Amino acid sequence: MNAFLWVSSWLEGFGLEQVESIWILAPLGLIFIFLFIIVPSSMIVAYLDRKVTADFQARVGPNRAGPAGVFQSWADFFKLLQKDRNSEVSWSEELWLAIHTMALYSTVAVLPLGSLMLLVDTDMSVFLPFWAALVVALGTMLLGLSQKTVAGWYGGIRVATQAISGAFPALVAMICVGLRAGSFRWSGLVAIQGAAPLSWTAFSNPFQFIALIVFLVSGLVLLAIPPMDAALSSPDVSGGVAAHLSGRRLVLFKMGRFYSFYLWAVIASVLFLGGWKLPFEISENLLEQGKIQLLHFLELCCLMTKSLILILLVIWGARVNPRTRVDQITDFAWTVLSPFALFALIGASLVAGWGVLS
Amino acid sequence: MSSREILKTELAKLALGPFDSALPGPLRLQMELDGEVIVSAKVETGFIHRGLEKAFERQRWIASISYADRLDPDGPIFGELALCLAVEEIAQLTVPPRAEQVRVLLSELGRISCHMEYLVRVARAVGSDTMIHYVLRDREKILDLFELTTGARYSINFLRFGGIQADITEGFIERILELSELFRIRVKEYNDLFTYNHAFIQRTQGVGTLSSKRVRELGVTGPNARAAGFSADIRKIHPYSGYDKIDFEVPVADLRGLRSGDANDRFLLRLREIAVSTEILRQVAENISDGAFCSRKQGQEIKVPAGEAYVRVESARGLLGCHVAADGGPMPARIQFRTPSHAHLAAIPELLSGTRLEDLPVVLSSLGLGVAEADR
Repeated sequence: MNAFLWVSSWLEGFGLEQVESIWILAPLGLIFIFLFIIVPSSMIVAYLDRKVTADFQARVGPNRAGPAGVFQSWADFFKLLQKDRNSEVSWSEELWLAIHTMALYSTVAVLPLGSLMLLVDTDMSVFLPFWAALVVALGTMLLGLSQKTVAGWYGGIRVATQAISGAFPALVAMICVGLRAGSFRWSGLVAIQGAAPLSWTAFSNPFQFIALIVFLVSGLVLLAIPPMDAALSSPDVSGGVAAHLSGRRLVLFKMGRFYSFYLWAVIASVLFLGGWKLPFEISENLLEQGKIQLLHFLELCCLMTKSLILILLVIWGARVNPRTRVDQITDFAWTVLSPFALFALIGASLVAGWGVLS
Repeated sequence: MSSREILKTELAKLALGPFDSALPGPLRLQMELDGEVIVSAKVETGFIHRGLEKAFERQRWIASISYADRLDPDGPIFGELALCLAVEEIAQLTVPPRAEQVRVLLSELGRISCHMEYLVRVARAVGSDTMIHYVLRDREKILDLFELTTGARYSINFLRFGGIQADITEGFIERILELSELFRIRVKEYNDLFTYNHAFIQRTQGVGTLSSKRVRELGVTGPNARAAGFSADIRKIHPYSGYDKIDFEVPVADLRGLRSGDANDRFLLRLREIAVSTEILRQVAENISDGAFCSRKQGQEIKVPAGEAYVRVESARGLLGCHVAADGGPMPARIQFRTPSHAHLAAIPELLSGTRLEDLPVVLSSLGLGVAEADR
């Protein structure tokens, strides 16, 4: 499995010996991705979120922890780690929190981060994060039910209903992309796209554009991201499942929410927005010159920029609009998003079929 | 609830409060739920009963004013004004025109501030953080004006029997004119940002509809009644403090609408009232008269002869009545308030039954309840 070879190239860069055994490389790769890519980008997004939101809302935002408040997220993180709740936490609650977290971070293995930084690139790669999202929703529901509180009970059920209604259109939109690429491998999905926006899947034909919009919005529904976060933040359930969590459990839960948002933005960029494709044949030139690490870095920057812009767009929408009610969200997903997704699927199939025949 | 939802489940019991983020103040709701839909709701109140009316009987007349402005912490001016008007009626005191005009200015500032508090509560209920910050930013300017002229941002304790405590500060009138100009722009901004927002309309339209028939039966007054099509406003029916000299129109919801009296109507009506109050502020500030600010000497003990009076003022929440009974002694014999929020509390059970649990904060916040005022 040469998927992890890039890890050994980094290890060599740190002056370590050549490591060949996959059982060392795989965990190192996952830890590397988590610590050096996911955590820093989460902190960057969290900071940008707070600053941009503050700007929208005519206030200053974080400005004390570090220059211009850049360390505010770290300060919050460490403060929460020091806290713990007084009352007992039931074993079932711990169990479901653990399962929900494991399901979520299992997707790190399939996270597409560059042409060479693909850990698991199988024919089913696209679907793995999708199933993980459903498992996370189920885990969150059972976490809520095991809390035996009103907020947990209603919040948990709402998370599950939202996830089920959002999953179908999201799945259909992903199939649209697969139809065009003829593959559900990350590498195949990106290979048919170019660096220029007009060669991205989203702009290849109108049906793919509809699929992009459906994918973006149904992702919000599926993962309960603002402004579709009624399941988790509605004032009547005062935070839903999160209301009963505190201290390090809350950190785990909140970081999980954040990671799912991030994951979804990365996948949307890879599926529709050209992924990590660099312009001017930079990739080929760098490969020829053997500058693998620079290539890793540039591709990652390209992908992260696109994902960040997507995330900021969603934050913008969430700050301008009020929170939608759960039944309105599910209605919207079933009666608006799903028909559009199916329409896009039919159109994308026709376009793909036309291409094959002609 | 749409007709498609025919799934019935076992009823669940849910008690909310007295302290909960979904509630406008200390209340307890005992509800029965069928899934997400509230079947019945019972309201328990009295959690912040302070014995305010009894406290009046143990204070000298002059001290009763500072108790009256604790009636409703969001709109302190209305309690003070009602009490002063009643005592002035018993004691046959005249109020100089300048003092009357300042009273109107403070009342309308209080009304705008109270309505902005209301906008914040509705925004919080529908989860629109941006609106909360916009409104609070502008409300600060009103609180600054209170501070400028009375020295306090809340609990202003500024009115006196026969006038006001002190003459207005220099620059107050100019700043009122600036403020009325600013609010003309701001109300339009709020409309563009929130009122016409599709998601906001979806959340508030058809939610918590209060019919005009029930408004009459429950004695609901103020903006909530006007949102159901009632044009009753004490400022027009029984003008006080010179409201009859001001040219203004009382906004009333259009009864031709199919869903008149819902949360969205109540929200819109408050926004329109802010605009009207702005206009009143401008008119009064432009025509402010010179002269004395109080007909009595400051600090002098007042002698209220034996007698009774009942006056009504239009507070930001509705009709605020004040019944004062004096026996000629140094302290009031009895002071009693008729608060608008009490009637609004009575409307809660029927408004909640049949709505979804998620709409509970929207319904409650859209009524503009002052729980402190209802509990007294």
